[in-house]
Amino acid sequence: MSNTQALSTADKWFRAYQALDQTADPGWMQSLRENAAKQLSVNGLPHRKIEEWKYTPLRRLENLELQTRNQREIPPVDTQFPAAIAEPSALVIDISDGSLQSRQETPDGLTINSLAGGLGKYEDRLRSLCEATDLSGPGRAFAALNTAFLDQGLLIHAGAGVKAGSILIRWAFSPAEAARLDNFRVFVLLDAGAELAVIEQFESTVGTENALNVISQVELGKGAALEHVRVQLESDRCSLLTSTSIRQAADSRYTYSGFDLGGGLVRHEIDASLTGPGAHAEIRGAFVLDGSRYVDNHVSVDHVSAGCTSQQFFRGVLGGRSRGVFNGRALIRAGADGSVVKQSNANLLLSGLAEMDTKPELEIYADEVEASHGATVGQLDEAAVFYLRTRGLSDAQARRMLTAAFCHAVTDQLENRTLADRLSVLLDEAMPDEPPETGRED
Amino acid sequence: MLEIKNLHATVGGKPILKGLNLKVSDGEVHAIMGPNGAGKSTLGNVIAGRDGYDVTAGEVLYKGADLLQLEPEERACEGIFLAFQYPVEIPGVNNTYFLRAALNAQRKYRGEPELDSMQFLKLVREKLHILHISDDLMHRAVNEGFSGGEKKRNEIFQMAVLEPSLAILDETDSGLDIDALRLVAEGVNRLRSEDRSIIVVTHYQRLLDHIVPDVVHVLADGKIVASGDADLALKLEEKGYTWLEQGGIQPLNEEARV
Ligand SMILES: Nc1ncnc2c1ncn2[C@@H]1O[C@H](COP(=O)(O)OP(=O)(O)O)[C@@H](O)[C@H]1O
Ligand SMILES: [Mg+2]
Repeated sequence: MSNTQALSTADKWFRAYQALDQTADPGWMQSLRENAAKQLSVNGLPHRKIEEWKYTPLRRLENLELQTRNQREIPPVDTQFPAAIAEPSALVIDISDGSLQSRQETPDGLTINSLAGGLGKYEDRLRSLCEATDLSGPGRAFAALNTAFLDQGLLIHAGAGVKAGSILIRWAFSPAEAARLDNFRVFVLLDAGAELAVIEQFESTVGTENALNVISQVELGKGAALEHVRVQLESDRCSLLTSTSIRQAADSRYTYSGFDLGGGLVRHEIDASLTGPGAHAEIRGAFVLDGSRYVDNHVSVDHVSAGCTSQQFFRGVLGGRSRGVFNGRALIRAGADGSVVKQSNANLLLSGLAEMDTKPELEIYADEVEASHGATVGQLDEAAVFYLRTRGLSDAQARRMLTAAFCHAVTDQLENRTLADRLSVLLDEAMPDEPPETGRED
Repeated sequence: MLEIKNLHATVGGKPILKGLNLKVSDGEVHAIMGPNGAGKSTLGNVIAGRDGYDVTAGEVLYKGADLLQLEPEERACEGIFLAFQYPVEIPGVNNTYFLRAALNAQRKYRGEPELDSMQFLKLVREKLHILHISDDLMHRAVNEGFSGGEKKRNEIFQMAVLEPSLAILDETDSGLDIDALRLVAEGVNRLRSEDRSIIVVTHYQRLLDHIVPDVVHVLADGKIVASGDADLALKLEEKGYTWLEQGGIQPLNEEARV
């Protein structure tokens, strides 16, 4: 996106902000929006000169219209997901076109509400979370956009010690006349010792261009545990931008497992902050790309406190003219002694036109830190392909089997084996049929 | 079963097989011996259809038809099995899953119904039991982290499950202790039947104590330079290949020459 183009798209979105009717909202929210809208208007959208965004093909977002509240009737989610990924007992929350559709009865100690509904009891917590969102500079333009349109949101709260089971969030789009961009915010608050699994599935089977810009804010109290799974199977006309920040108290545990098996432009920012001793963050994902799709994982773990552990583990498969980005950062601050940090990103290029940019960044200012990192970009092992073929598998079958196996390294790490098995099936189905690349002309 | 006439092949442009003739009839077991670098593995790879192994002259007939125009998987489905000298490690692909997919691909090719996982498990248990192989092999990724002996056992196990018409065992006995060697021999002997043929590539006579071959060939510098009965292997063991080079044996017998 050129500088001028970036400004005019931001201007267009700024005008949509000006048209918002905010009269019923609390004052802090109005001024938060106003400040965010100003940031957006001043800084514009990210462009190629901004290091963090230099690969992201934002051009496809330029023509999208912002949808503000109460503009349309929203039909219920009609899921086409090929397989159930959450256990049948999971609570289901539908978010269609950026609007919360359903709320279920929740067990004691678990609260699920919309942002508006949560304002009464949770106003102070939500406000401080919203105000903590970094909006400065063009690199944070989508956070500013999201905040300027702060309206639709989901609050999940589990009280101290509550074993809250699992929640399935189904994100979907309905057919719409206009190409649209929706903003949404998710708050997940787990008090000390609470446990929860949140499984998000993103799908969009409709043909229209659309985009979803989601900010998720997670707070984990002492010893709390959140298992966070994302499975994204959108059409390649969909864009998905997520920004997830996790603040972790002592001995808390956050695991993220992201599977990007669809989508045209996908970017996940995941920032975990380990603020109490013994906190643990495990952030992993697999993506499978073909065509001219783009998936970007920007992961950052901040070791603030001593004795914390973190892992980043990503596997990418890239065919066609697709492009992938992995940017994995770990910051071990002074005093965060005894931290353990692992990073691994391996990628398979199935086509000579695909491109992967992988960048691990480790910054260590503490003592007795155990750190390891590795990043590779390679091709399928042709000896293995031949071996499988000599046993009767077709060339395509052999390649699919090897490619899937490569991605299973991610599902293998899930402790919940039933969930892992379901995810493996989805992965297997997502394997591209890429013709072998070179050296087979003989 | 297999008829190779005047086979010339290059590997990476370098001539390796230089006019090789070999005829293996139904039900026969042939042993191929020969010095390192003679082209034994190259022969196996050419028969299996590996890329980069280019046939520049000659022909290979399998069950009377041209083998060389088939893809590797078609050859497998037609009943050819190569036990690799160096089986490939395939991380992340479960042995059971892989072998069921392979067997079902072959069954499908032959128009037979595919086996579901229960049926397959039953078959696998039988074969494991017969071959005295522990079933933990089945829970691991294909050859990953297997010891040399385990890899060779796994090749024999695959052969037992896939029941090929023509099996080529490329130094499957190398580096095996006596128990594993017996197992390999057992696997081969069980497969022996009137409509199956087996080519055993080996350096050592000791395997041939357990698998008595119908014909023994010596492959040197890309050609079969001598053929004989099982006694030839004994003589080679005793006197070494230099004995051959010094003209210790008559030229090829006519049968092996085709
Ligand atoms: N992939 C390859 N590229 C180049 N040369 C090879 C390759 N594989 C084998 N060769 C060469 O081909 C010759 C025959 O090798 P091989 O068939 O493995 O012999 P053998 O199995 O009888 O020991 C050797 O000189 C070897 O170096
Ligand atoms: Mg060899």
